Amino acid sequence: MASGNDLAVGLMVQRRVVSALLLREIITRYGRHNIGFLWLFVEPMLFTLAVTLLWVGLKLNHVSTLPITAFAVTGYSSILLWRNMPGRLIGSVGPNLALMYHRQVKIIDIFISRLLLEFMGATISFIALTVVFTTFGWMTWPEDLLKVTLGWLMLTWFGCGLAILLGALAEEHEIIEKLWHPFAYIIMPLSGAGFIVDSLPKVGQEWILYLPMINAVEYLREGYFGSAMVAHYDMGYMAVANLALTALGLAKTRVVSQKVVPE
Amino acid sequence: MKKLLARFRLADRLFLAVVVLPTILAVLYYGLLSSDVYVSESRFIVRSPEKPQMSGVGLLLKGAGFSNAGDEIFAAQSYVNSRDALKVLDTGGVYRKAYTLPSISIFDRYNSFGLSGSFEELYAYYQGKVHTEHDTTSSITTLSVKAYTPEDAQRFNRQLLAMSEALVNRLNDRARSDLIQTSRAEVDAAKVRSEKASLALSRFRNREGVIDPEKQATIQFQMISKLQDEMIATRAQLAQLRSVAPRNPQIIVLEAQARSLKGDIDEELRKVAGGSASLSSVAAEYQRLQLENQFADRQLASAMASLQDAENEARRKQAYVERIAQPSLPDFAIEPRRMRGIISTLLFALIAWGVLSMMLAGVREHQQ
Repeated sequence: MASGNDLAVGLMVQRRVVSALLLREIITRYGRHNIGFLWLFVEPMLFTLAVTLLWVGLKLNHVSTLPITAFAVTGYSSILLWRNMPGRLIGSVGPNLALMYHRQVKIIDIFISRLLLEFMGATISFIALTVVFTTFGWMTWPEDLLKVTLGWLMLTWFGCGLAILLGALAEEHEIIEKLWHPFAYIIMPLSGAGFIVDSLPKVGQEWILYLPMINAVEYLREGYFGSAMVAHYDMGYMAVANLALTALGLAKTRVVSQKVVPE
Repeated sequence: MKKLLARFRLADRLFLAVVVLPTILAVLYYGLLSSDVYVSESRFIVRSPEKPQMSGVGLLLKGAGFSNAGDEIFAAQSYVNSRDALKVLDTGGVYRKAYTLPSISIFDRYNSFGLSGSFEELYAYYQGKVHTEHDTTSSITTLSVKAYTPEDAQRFNRQLLAMSEALVNRLNDRARSDLIQTSRAEVDAAKVRSEKASLALSRFRNREGVIDPEKQATIQFQMISKLQDEMIATRAQLAQLRSVAPRNPQIIVLEAQARSLKGDIDEELRKVAGGSASLSSVAAEYQRLQLENQFADRQLASAMASLQDAENEARRKQAYVERIAQPSLPDFAIEPRRMRGIISTLLFALIAWGVLSMMLAGVREHQQ
């Protein structure tokens, strides 16, 4: 079966391209000096750590009855996960334009390698913070690890879909790059990192759940805190939203990759 | 050319698997296999006549979802979704029977393959069929029950509504009796204390032969002062006679009178103060008893007042379920929404197919 073979070969090539881009990305971004690629997860970890300490220091316990450290870690890690991905993909083609000279390197490969890197960084930082805080007794282990993982993966999917769409759009419209930062700041407090949906009035709950990421954050938190909180989410809706974002993003990427001219 | 053909075939296969097959399944399920679902709906409100007046800040907080609007409503809601409610509904297996009717399609039936009929599974199934929704702005709660015949839906809805009513009444009675019982116990205790105090006082009076030492002492003093007046008059007369007519036989009489008056005065003075039976020695104990009695009376009065308050309060606080809409008898199966189900499956499948085929195309590009 020729076509199946086609696919296998393509997959093998793409895997090699992506892993090479991944290594290149790590080296160009973090360099070999200092702690090198450890910055990959130390950077988001510092972010989360700072925010967590701030929250704990301010004793923002009135936000909810949940333990504040775990609340901050789950909330801010989630934000970092989906917010950094689009930020990293917007304007990612330009610096790599020279690589496009090689036939096998496509825009989607650049996207995938950067997304993988972001995912790894955010995930390692989340796990490391959880482990460290739990060892110190500031947090407890999640009640349902599977739910936490699923929520995290759904959030990753959302981040990837959004990032690919925005990354591809940014190639055509420069304004995306300018708009993304204010947009990210507006959407951040609404993303469920700093509150739980249950504390909102009913009308607000209905509206806020239209934001896909908040569904995953609630799901993740339900997995983490279990019966201690009442979670509101619709993972079916989130899956549809993610799928739509992914479809639009991939379509746009294909359009853009036809137009890109290597240097 | 051959390569192109083969590629198309792969793409077709993907299309078949991701779009055509799910859509066919959806058409089969929604078109033929799924049973009509009838939804019976009722609306009610849990009223407590005394509502705290909302200030501006209160309204704001309520808007932010911080109000504790009627605990009873949440109690009723959580009761409807509880195993207890299901247990009552399922007395004699009525509930099980209604959802395992042979007319229900095998995909929708409870325990369709007869593999297990555990209560927990029934409960999980039940939770999918009963739905309560509380609207915080209007505080109306909607209770909807899904069933496969209209009569069942209405019957279970009616039962659940009656059960929530009973629950709210029970909570009410409990709160009321708690409130009143403590006040009543206090009144009873105060009554006993008051009785004891007045009994002690009357026993004291009988024993000592004294009603009120203070008042009695006043009378005694009046008597003494009268006697003293007489004594002074007698003495004056005596002195006069002695100086004017020292041999007057009346002098002896007057002397005797003065002596007896003095004796009387001493006697009366002894009754008031000094000596074990004097009024002043009883006064101390009398005062103690009197004070106790007064205190017990006052306590009883305040306890009775607070009982009255508690009764009023209980009457005012009484919450009750007010039905706004009786459980409806649906005459049309609004679920499943067949066309909607098929169309949404098709759309979802198309998007998924789009994503998958684009991803595959992206992978394949690398091979060129």
